[in-house]
Amino acid sequence: MKLTKHLLGAALAMAVAPAALLADTIAIITPSHDNPFFKAEADGAKAQAEALGYDTMVLVHDDDANKQSELFDTVIAAGASAIILDNAGADASVAAVQKAKDAGIPSFLIDREITATGVAVSQIVSNNYQGAQLGAEEFVSLMGEAGNYVELLGKESDTNAGIRSQGYHDVIDQFPDLKMVAQQTANWSQTEAFSVMESILQANPDIKGVISGNDTMAMGAWAALEAAGRTDVIVVGFDGSNDVRDSILGGGIKATVLQPAYQQAQLAVSQADQYLKTGSTGLDEKQLMDCVLINGANASSLETFALK
Amino acid sequence: MTRLLSLVTLLIAGLTLSGCKIVFDEDKDTATIPNGPDGDDARNQARIDETFDTRLTPLITSKALPVDVLRSEIARDIASAGAEHANRGSGQGSAWNFPVSGQGQVIEANLESRARTVSVDVNGDGQADVTLQLGPVVRGTALRDAAPFYDFDEFRDQIEFAKLARALNDKVTGELVVPETDVIGSSVDFIGVTPLKSADDPLIVTPIDVRFSQ
Repeated sequence: MKLTKHLLGAALAMAVAPAALLADTIAIITPSHDNPFFKAEADGAKAQAEALGYDTMVLVHDDDANKQSELFDTVIAAGASAIILDNAGADASVAAVQKAKDAGIPSFLIDREITATGVAVSQIVSNNYQGAQLGAEEFVSLMGEAGNYVELLGKESDTNAGIRSQGYHDVIDQFPDLKMVAQQTANWSQTEAFSVMESILQANPDIKGVISGNDTMAMGAWAALEAAGRTDVIVVGFDGSNDVRDSILGGGIKATVLQPAYQQAQLAVSQADQYLKTGSTGLDEKQLMDCVLINGANASSLETFALK
Repeated sequence: MTRLLSLVTLLIAGLTLSGCKIVFDEDKDTATIPNGPDGDDARNQARIDETFDTRLTPLITSKALPVDVLRSEIARDIASAGAEHANRGSGQGSAWNFPVSGQGQVIEANLESRARTVSVDVNGDGQADVTLQLGPVVRGTALRDAAPFYDFDEFRDQIEFAKLARALNDKVTGELVVPETDVIGSSVDFIGVTPLKSADDPLIVTPIDVRFSQ
């Protein structure tokens, strides 16, 4: 059935070029767009899909695996050609992706991995460890390789929180004159980071730097430092958000690490297109995507998780 | 199972081809490496033992371009130069890792940092052409990414993959001999890898061998 459709599609494509593809739809499923990172993913995928002549269905699962499963049913019933997914849980999502595969719909994953291979066609994942090393190298050099610092950790249940922390320490711990005086979670939250930073400052007024597991916590920490008149403290974040970009350009936070969310989503769509046309992406299933250091030198080129 | 088989094949190949000495307790070690994160270091050590002298060093040495040739090749077309002379890291948008060699005069040195570097003038114009990383802290993953045989799909996750890069860097810098004094003005021979994304990137080399002489 599917094969017939493809053969027919190929024949039509040869006859009347891109018009034949307009019938095909790519479904784009991500966490809530309230977080600009996920919105950038969805926007990137949609733009690329439309540029390649596809219709799109843009859906959000709100990090709820049950909702994600229902969305997959909807997409399968609608007869989508391919699914672009930032999934709602590494274990829980395997069944949903398998369900689509069984229905002949290939899935292309972005941002987060699932715990099985051979189910999705592609898994394009940000190299969080490499990104954390980049951020840490910049932090170390801003600190002059010495001084007391604080680390703000992300949500403990999120594997990326641990990966980033390990990446930071892989670099920082090689400098014996850098001393971590506090390490606390602020659960990726700006408001929580503000209050955590306030209390850390009271106990440790002699800090020189703060390295944060993401940008929202870096923003919260910076607000607390500013309120305490401690704009001398070096703050480094992770994600490459527009908020931190503006802070860098205004002389506040010193650096962050860009996860190229927009480009990653576009790449997934291109691979889906390639797969639909040729039956193969020609690439490994699991693909790492490098992160990019953002500091005063290139912050002005950053817009919505992409370097212009 | 496949891994064990390939290890056995490798051992046999080593025996028949070069007659080199086989250390059999390696087999025992492999069997006791835990599967999870706790086994990362042991697995990476086994990879380094298997590949560093027999594959990585010969690869870098045989493919190394002199600095001026590298410069002109990448200026013409970095993608085709990369396809011919380099290996691309496992990641979209990652750098081409070019093996490079050269000889020149040290004109700048930062030996105070934990990430020691020297800048080298290779063409005698008084300008730095290349920066050599001398450790103990080495930035980047150039040595790992120079080799097509370290395949990300064969690693547990991005952490184990990153740890291999670090272990390779540590192995190399642990063996470098850097003069304590009078480095500036000394002459230096080097061979290593430089990661490049565009033709005007600075040449920052992670060396596998550096020799200073007065």
